[in-house]
Amino acid sequence: MGNKSQEQPILFEDDVKVGIAGYVSLIFAILFFSGLFQKAPGAWSAFDFTNLCGNFGSLGELADGAGELASNFRGIGGVGAKDGFLFALTLFPGVIFALGVVKVVEYYGGLRAAQRLLTPLLRPLMGIPGITGLTLIASLQSTDAGGSMTKALRENNLITEKEKTIFCAFQFSAGATITNYFSSGAALFPMMEGTLLIIPLIVMFVCKVLGANLMRIYLNKVAMEDE
Amino acid sequence: MGENTKKNKTAIEAFIEGARNGYHTSMNFMTPNVVFAFVLIQVLKLTGLLDIIGKIFSPVMGIFGLPGVAATVLISAWLSTGGGIGAAASLYAAGSLTGPHISILLPAIILMGSQIQYMGRLLGVAEVKTKYYPHLFGICILNALIAMLVMNAVVRSGVF
Repeated sequence: MGNKSQEQPILFEDDVKVGIAGYVSLIFAILFFSGLFQKAPGAWSAFDFTNLCGNFGSLGELADGAGELASNFRGIGGVGAKDGFLFALTLFPGVIFALGVVKVVEYYGGLRAAQRLLTPLLRPLMGIPGITGLTLIASLQSTDAGGSMTKALRENNLITEKEKTIFCAFQFSAGATITNYFSSGAALFPMMEGTLLIIPLIVMFVCKVLGANLMRIYLNKVAMEDE
Repeated sequence: MGENTKKNKTAIEAFIEGARNGYHTSMNFMTPNVVFAFVLIQVLKLTGLLDIIGKIFSPVMGIFGLPGVAATVLISAWLSTGGGIGAAASLYAAGSLTGPHISILLPAIILMGSQIQYMGRLLGVAEVKTKYYPHLFGICILNALIAMLVMNAVVRSGVF
């Protein structure tokens, strides 16, 4: 990362042990980059670097009063890594914009308002105390924040072991829901063709609560955890 | 965490900070995942495995209003959310999945996404008893299946 050189120092020793996997991967790499399989029939063509690297899409053709142009720089009919790269570029603006907006909502205290509204609902909804509200909101933004804050809640005896397990069932499914939905998920938004963007978010939240309750029922009825 | 915005910032600065975060995510996480997924799908296509997966999973995925190839999206998602998103995008680009299919898959991808990573980053950090790990994994997959049923009904109803 940063300004460091990409090249890692490799220590060469006289007496290195090489496993069978080393030789196999070397032979594979030589064959993969050799071009021998480029024109191979059927499945064998998948063992060629050039074939997997693929092609950029065509930008289309324009003739006098005829022809068709691609709708954007990605072009039409591309395949493989090259097409994937250009496709990923088309997704940048949506992701950048969406995360910018989420940050503005956070700036104006929108997430704090959500926390305030949710807190009294946590006990009836999932059987966990209201004190978990802040952690819950944080967990919707960052899985790591959720994990470490949950650990702190337990260590300070603010939640029981059972409540912690239920709470983790909520967090584990669709971890960092909001961040994932508006970053990775935003890539799929343009393809959803008319489905309101709020619907998948609601479905995910309901499923998370449902999952937590499945854990709650299991712990109460089957595992008989009492803490 | 979360409410880390200091009040000596403006809303514009907050937007720029979030947008920069979005660029970072796009460049360093989304792009490598999408390229990987496009290559994976290309391997499956060239080897003919994509057709085989499509045929094998078509009865199961049919329950959710999805074609069999959608199974590759779910399998990739379980390993990494970005991989699942990439696989869905690649199959959409190839015409194997349609817009409604994407709507059905999106919540499921996130609900069962990145489980192996989150096992360490969430369950490990919060010190959840390992005997409950199988239940937690099961709940995520069940959540994804329920989400696909619901989304299928939503998409079919055409209301939203």
